[in-house]
Amino acid sequence: MNDLNDTTRTHAVDLTRIRPRGAQRRLEDEDIVMEVENLSLWYGEKRALHGITMKLPRHRVTAFIGPSGCGKSSLLRCLNRMNDLVDGARIEGRILLDGHDIYARDVDVPRLRQTVGMVFQKPNPFPKTIYENVAYGLRLKGIRKRRELDERVEWALRAAALWEEVRDRLQEPAGSLSGGQQQRLVIARAIAIEPQVLLLDEPASALDPISTLKIEELIYNLKADYSIVIVTHNMQQAARVSDYTAFMYMGDLVEYGDTDTIFTRPSQRRTEDYITGRYG
Amino acid sequence: MDKLNLDSHISQQFNEELEEIRNHVMAMGGLVEQQTADAVRAVVEGDSALGRRVAEDDHKVNELELVIDEECNRILARRQPAASDLRLIFAIIKTITDLERIGDEAEKIGWLATRLAEAERPAGGYGQLENLGNRVRGQLRTALDAFVRMDPTAAVEVAREDSKVDREYEAILRQGITFMMEDPRTIRRILDVIWCARALERIGDHSKNICEYVVYLVSGKDVRHASTDEIERELRSS
Amino acid sequence: MAKAGSSWWQSGSPWIWLTAGAVTLSMLAVFGLVVLIAVRGLAHFWPADVFAFRYAEAEGRVDTVIASVRGTETVTAARLREAGLEIAADLESVDRHLVKTGNRDRLGHDFRFLLEPRIVEREQPADVVVVERTEWGDQLGFLREVKESGATVATGDEAWPALLARIERVADLRSHIRELERGRVAAINYALEQLRLEQRRYDLDGELTDARRADIERRRTALEADYAGVQAALEALYSDIGRDSYVVEIQDGSTVELPLATVVRAHRPNLMGPIDKLAFWFARLWEFVSDEPREANTEGGVFPAIFGTVVMVLLMSVFVTPFGVIAAVYLREYAKQGLLTRTIRIAVNNLAGVPSIVYGVFGLGFFVYFLGGSLDALFYPEAAPSPVFGTPGLLWSSLTLALLTLPVVIVATEEGLARIPRSILEGSYALGATRAETLWRTVLPMASPAMMTGLILAVARAAGEVAPLMLVGVVKLAPSLPIDGNPPFLHLDRKFMHLGFHIYDVGFQSPNVEAARPLVYATALLLVLTILVLNLAAVHIRKRLREKYRALEG
Repeated sequence: MNDLNDTTRTHAVDLTRIRPRGAQRRLEDEDIVMEVENLSLWYGEKRALHGITMKLPRHRVTAFIGPSGCGKSSLLRCLNRMNDLVDGARIEGRILLDGHDIYARDVDVPRLRQTVGMVFQKPNPFPKTIYENVAYGLRLKGIRKRRELDERVEWALRAAALWEEVRDRLQEPAGSLSGGQQQRLVIARAIAIEPQVLLLDEPASALDPISTLKIEELIYNLKADYSIVIVTHNMQQAARVSDYTAFMYMGDLVEYGDTDTIFTRPSQRRTEDYITGRYG
Repeated sequence: MDKLNLDSHISQQFNEELEEIRNHVMAMGGLVEQQTADAVRAVVEGDSALGRRVAEDDHKVNELELVIDEECNRILARRQPAASDLRLIFAIIKTITDLERIGDEAEKIGWLATRLAEAERPAGGYGQLENLGNRVRGQLRTALDAFVRMDPTAAVEVAREDSKVDREYEAILRQGITFMMEDPRTIRRILDVIWCARALERIGDHSKNICEYVVYLVSGKDVRHASTDEIERELRSS
Repeated sequence: MAKAGSSWWQSGSPWIWLTAGAVTLSMLAVFGLVVLIAVRGLAHFWPADVFAFRYAEAEGRVDTVIASVRGTETVTAARLREAGLEIAADLESVDRHLVKTGNRDRLGHDFRFLLEPRIVEREQPADVVVVERTEWGDQLGFLREVKESGATVATGDEAWPALLARIERVADLRSHIRELERGRVAAINYALEQLRLEQRRYDLDGELTDARRADIERRRTALEADYAGVQAALEALYSDIGRDSYVVEIQDGSTVELPLATVVRAHRPNLMGPIDKLAFWFARLWEFVSDEPREANTEGGVFPAIFGTVVMVLLMSVFVTPFGVIAAVYLREYAKQGLLTRTIRIAVNNLAGVPSIVYGVFGLGFFVYFLGGSLDALFYPEAAPSPVFGTPGLLWSSLTLALLTLPVVIVATEEGLARIPRSILEGSYALGATRAETLWRTVLPMASPAMMTGLILAVARAAGEVAPLMLVGVVKLAPSLPIDGNPPFLHLDRKFMHLGFHIYDVGFQSPNVEAARPLVYATALLLVLTILVLNLAAVHIRKRLREKYRALEG
């Protein structure tokens, strides 16, 4: 039996440092990076979004979840005006980035997209070398000096947790990487130009579970420097990576709040049904 | 799988969350152990103030239970733990319930200590109760250590110890009955002592439960409601 | 049985057999085609054995015919009788040999038929000589003498080595002469012509001052002095080359004395072993691809035609690729898709179906007469009345063929552009690239293999076209190559020779049909090989591009 007079208590913990119960994140306390105000979106005659209003906090991960066709990807693509590329797309309402309307007339759209970067569902590296993929955006920004390019490429690859795997094969084609590596390469490409906001459109849906976890870990590590918005089909993924979750349904924002609350005691019946698999 | 790698998930955040929750369980265990020790000391030394403090501090244990509960909830909701992670969360949820009960027993002893302090002290003091208390504290500590080290073998040790605790408790009971028959004026005091012994015996039972959760956590085998020998056999076979 | 049959039918096997059969037929057709032209064409250069026939002529005379057999066919006796030939009554059919007698200058023909029954005797005289000449075709006979400045220097057995040595000397001298004529003389002539044009230009502009006139006159005098020097050297060479002569006894027993200057080479086929023959075969093959044609294209080589074909095709590629690619990029990337673009696409596709001769007519009318005429009027008034660009030439041929192949390039490029995954484009836009940047950095490199495919198809089509070229620039015999040492080196206004047209010309317009027929095959083979080489080069480039820009699969 143990010596009961042993005073060096291995289990002693400073109780005052334990986070008090019920202390969750609150949107009211956050620094807001983007604001969506009463946003509606039409594709031709079809209305895809119905007056969405929400605030996206800085240096947090916000997840959009919802069934297919609920408008979550459409909303995401409004945030860096990728919908401009779709024929017949039209919006109403405003989206503010640090207080400035990104749909204002004088907005330089390529510049906006450098500030609000985007990563897509399927890894889409360019058919160039690994190095050139990451340098693509840098060159577009007008960086020409070899040394600066080298530094930024290495930095971005390190940030995307890919440097150790590719440092010896930077001049190999990006297609030689595995799917998960390609997706991290694409993320490296997006963060190389140092956006403020990073939009991820189902970044892990084409990947195997382990690669998915690596991407999720990367997202967790990136939120210190970037504000991240992620669209996902996978509720569990939203639960794992996000600080805030928005549940969308048929073009409406049904519920939006901190992820703990959404996943333990949602306030809306439809949210509850969806995340418990009763939807439909 | 003889060793659980609870800190080698790809997700560093998950590792941290699990580590934190285990630390909190340890903290709760430490607190409960301290409460038990203080309660027994209050009885033995007739320290009414200490007894009162123990009783009043029970809310800390309760608060910790709620905090850990919530953390478990969050992990279940956000991480969908599986296999060893799932058993860990399950074991923790069960463990903190037992720890909270132990806290309640300590609170009970605390209140009894304040009453006993006002009553006349027996000539021999509360030596037997102190012995029982030490034994039970030993059990609790063994159980908590087993939890820290993920050591299923402690379960056998604690189960063995439990039968001794039972015998000591029965001895105290018999002795108390004798005293009460001899001198009915002592009935009230003796009953309090018996309540104390009863509470300590319950603490021992809760410790044994915790050890069983450790066995489940480590080996995935449910050894609740099994005899000591059966537990030993189970552990050897794995 | 019926059931078994129907199950065989249902198993799908007939379909497999049908499709496989179609492929096999195609393969056989291609293979047969190549083998036929290869065998017929390449056999032409093989030194055939020469026979001395004793042949009973129609008049009852028995003559000696020295000839090599070039073909044998069986004809019915009746047909020959109808033609007035006396054939023994018991013969149903008769073998008839086509033999090459050479000596066209003396006999009046190169080839004749010999009827097998009338051949009295045949032998292979060992020392029969075949002399290839720069004019009048081959000479078959027996070498008797070699003369130098009219005096006999070798007879009998010594004559052959002496002849060979002197042929070498003559070849040396001839290449000297050619160098001078092609190089110096041509350059001086070119410079003189430029001087004349310069003077005329000043004259037309009214700027012909006395100083200028004097300057031009001085330069002209210098050139003419230069020319006189070259002319003297040439004359010396000519008299040198005309020094020797040789004497050959031909089949009718008469002797012929000819200057050695006309001899290209001589050989004694009946004394040659297989290795000698092979070496000789290679030498003639090399001459064929590297030399210029002689005797109305029936002798010598086809180098100018190969050169012209390749230059024209390359030039066409230079014109058609950028034009087609730009058009395709506009249609696919910039134009608003709708009725108009659909109409344009249909028009482009139909353009590919227009007969090529129509392009020739268009090229002649638009490029040559209208564009070329305008260019001449604007920039080359001094050359009038002789046209510079207002006449068929290399530039107009290339442009006409570029127009002809444009639809192929447009369609192939558009196809390639359409295949670029949208996700790659979005990836580029998402990094802040503008449309132009995306096009330049991503779309065009990725579509480059498709452009190469278009170009390959275009080259294959253009290299084989003859009809439109006859209207816009190809000639039977071009005096000079379209690329030479005189600035500006590439002469877009010159007419050129083309393998396809060469085949047509040799096959249909040759004065000596029998001599030309093997050349048709050989030239056809060469045309196929040229296209093959051009295509393989393009395929190789495309393969490398594909590897480089392989879009990510899946």
